[in-house]
Amino acid sequence: MHSVLPRVAAGLASFLLCFSLQAATPNLVVYTYDSFISDWGPGPKVKAAFEATCNCTLELVGLSDGVAMLNRLKLEGDNSRADLLLGIDTNLTAEARSSGLFYAHELSLQSSALPDPWQDDLFLPYDFGYFAFVYNKEKLASPPTSLRQLVDDSDGPTLLIQDPRTSTPGLGLLLWIKKIYGDKADQAWAQLSPRIVTVSKGWSEAYGLFLKGEADMVLSYTTSPAYHMIAEQDLRFAAARFEEGHYQQIEVAGMVRSSQQKELARRFLAFMISEDFQKIIPTTNWMYPVVGGQAVLPPEFDQLIDPAPALLLDETSVAEQRKNWVEEWLEVMSR
Amino acid sequence: MIIPRAIPASLVLALLALLVLAPMAGLLHLSALPGYEPGDLRFWESAYLRRVLFFSIWQAVLSTLFSVLPAILVARAFAMQPDLPLRRLLLGLFALPLVVPGVVVVMGVVSVYGSDGWLPMGRSLYGINGILLAHVFFNLPLAVRLLLPLWQVIPQHHWQLGEQLGMNAWQRFRFIEWPMLRETLPGVLLLVFMLCLTSFAVVLTLGGGPRSTTVEVAIYQSLRFDFDPARAVMLALLQLGLCMLVAMLTLKFQRMPEVEIAISAPYRSRRSTLSSVVNLLLIGAATLYVGLPLLSLLIDALQGPFFKMVTSSQLWQAFANTLFIGMSAALLSVLAGWFLLQYSASLARQGRVTGARVVELAGSIVYVIPPLVIATGMFVLLSPHVDVFDWVYPIVIAINALMGLPFVVRCLGPSMRQSHARYHRLCLSLDLQGWNRFRFIEWPLLRRPLGLAIALVAVLAMGDLGVIALFGSTQTATLPLMIYQQLGAYLISQATVTALLLLLLCLAVFALLERGIGGKPDVAN
Repeated sequence: MHSVLPRVAAGLASFLLCFSLQAATPNLVVYTYDSFISDWGPGPKVKAAFEATCNCTLELVGLSDGVAMLNRLKLEGDNSRADLLLGIDTNLTAEARSSGLFYAHELSLQSSALPDPWQDDLFLPYDFGYFAFVYNKEKLASPPTSLRQLVDDSDGPTLLIQDPRTSTPGLGLLLWIKKIYGDKADQAWAQLSPRIVTVSKGWSEAYGLFLKGEADMVLSYTTSPAYHMIAEQDLRFAAARFEEGHYQQIEVAGMVRSSQQKELARRFLAFMISEDFQKIIPTTNWMYPVVGGQAVLPPEFDQLIDPAPALLLDETSVAEQRKNWVEEWLEVMSR
Repeated sequence: MIIPRAIPASLVLALLALLVLAPMAGLLHLSALPGYEPGDLRFWESAYLRRVLFFSIWQAVLSTLFSVLPAILVARAFAMQPDLPLRRLLLGLFALPLVVPGVVVVMGVVSVYGSDGWLPMGRSLYGINGILLAHVFFNLPLAVRLLLPLWQVIPQHHWQLGEQLGMNAWQRFRFIEWPMLRETLPGVLLLVFMLCLTSFAVVLTLGGGPRSTTVEVAIYQSLRFDFDPARAVMLALLQLGLCMLVAMLTLKFQRMPEVEIAISAPYRSRRSTLSSVVNLLLIGAATLYVGLPLLSLLIDALQGPFFKMVTSSQLWQAFANTLFIGMSAALLSVLAGWFLLQYSASLARQGRVTGARVVELAGSIVYVIPPLVIATGMFVLLSPHVDVFDWVYPIVIAINALMGLPFVVRCLGPSMRQSHARYHRLCLSLDLQGWNRFRFIEWPLLRRPLGLAIALVAVLAMGDLGVIALFGSTQTATLPLMIYQQLGAYLISQATVTALLLLLLCLAVFALLERGIGGKPDVAN
């Protein structure tokens, strides 16, 4: 009894001390997707780097994906704890913009690695990538060199893709084909359909099936081979370069309008487009950093294909047409 | 004072209704707000919906038949071979498929039947074949586990009588076993049907594409992709209605057996060598079928970075979360199920069979309301008042307990009814109530099905991905969520190690609970 009491008191005191310390440093809450904050994601390094300078606590809250984040923020409205949202892509920005829940960042991104200059008062990009079909060089000697060749060659490689209703790359391919084929997209899908082994719910199922050897090519990113080179020293994988260009995905972050700490939130955004943040991205998120150029890229990234020209549909037409296009896709693919 | 059984049961039913209807009402309310207007409601008439509905039912019916019919034979074979070496281990193995996350099952099935697999099927895997292979992998072992206890309650003297009368195998089945099966089989069919109907990632991925869209996918699409809550709620109600229809159909064939319950030592009859060989072949085939995908997972996992991973604190945090959620959900679910079944059994004893079935059905059918609908609705209701992140555990546990209820009803229902039918008068005459009745009458009779129920719901909740994925972040992640996150980040070999860890945890929990609560096997109490 005698020995327990002081220890309890000491414990209580240190608890209170912690509590008061915590109350003294501001807490910045960022909603993001959960792979961002996992052990292997950028989260832990980003948190350490930002907290080293900000005199604050960075609280990264992981939700399943961009759609979940945005739906969550809409449901919470002005009661949200979030100061920032990090991890929606340009296919969602129009919807996010019209929700009226975001606040101008007032920062500028002068020279970015993005193919087109960035002009958006609400959202700032933190990384980007290009969709591509990835294949095993030992199994597929001559991959198609254009999207049209892939579509037209009825004896071409078999494919694994994702469902645009449930997956980001799946939606990416839908838009890619729409960008190239326009009104004839349904015919292109009809031609492709017999060679599509399956359409999975998410990226992970399709990629897993591809590694098990279920098809010649899988819809993924141009940067996927870099993962195998760097993390597994496996040089067998490559992305097929299509001469029409590759559809882009740009991931962005934005400040929440109801945030009480806009200054701190803005400092985070400034940090996000600095080299300290950007150099973490290539080998944790396996995407391209938006600033820093060659200095922040591992040498293996030099061996990746050049995806130019970058393809992107404007966010308004995506927001307006997405539903119709998906219905059109469903119609063709269900035949 | 005796509390009538109707009171706790009504409380449970009211809670169930609240847990299911309130979120749906929340979603409908939301659809009245600007920004969430319901989309085109003519989708009721669309060819798309008709196709989705037809496909959902078709694949679910086929999957159910292919799972449950062979399961009768396999369960029977297990029952007839009580001295089989490794019998308990094999039956433990049969509890595992239930907890493997869908995406891992897809990988396992592909390792066995894919183009580079051990038994390659090529492209024909994708379509109804793949869906059936995966669903049978999930549900055949479950049905075996649920049906096997039947043979343990067939009284010894029935077998002896059959032997004296010179019955052949078919006659024994028809006159001794079938009357028992008729009571349990409809419920098992319904449960497996519900599991297959609400299947999602497996159906989409192995089904070959959007041709294989189920109602569950359509619900997910309307709530996530279109954010049209009204449509999601209506589709969920459609799914509920469909299951009620199937429930009524299956229950029409249900008959209560007119035999007394007995927990007896397994009957060791003088079986012919031929029937033993057939039994062993059946068990062998089923074990291979269930074991091969698990074996492929084991082989993959043993090549994984095992030692690097066991030092990860996120892994052990997820391990602890999994265990905590599984155990809590199992206790809650069994407690709620116990009250429901006590009430339903007492109704049945009084001859109010329809009432009894309605109570049981209410406990089971909530399963088909997708967790996404419940969780999103709860979020709508709770988020203006509390920080939902502080409530992750209670919400996840409650929904998982809800999802476990049909399993409790299946495991425990028949024995509870029989215990009431046989011992209620004795209890009255001895004035045995409450704790004493539980201790002297119900515990010895029911501890076995109780053990199975708790063990099943615990591993089921431990394997849950649907609910935790909606709320979980790294701090609250469970092993299945971690597997999913690793697979989403190229970390496939790490994911297989995590999956192996999950399976080992489930195996241990299952064995401990089933043995600890159910008691030693093959001992008459």
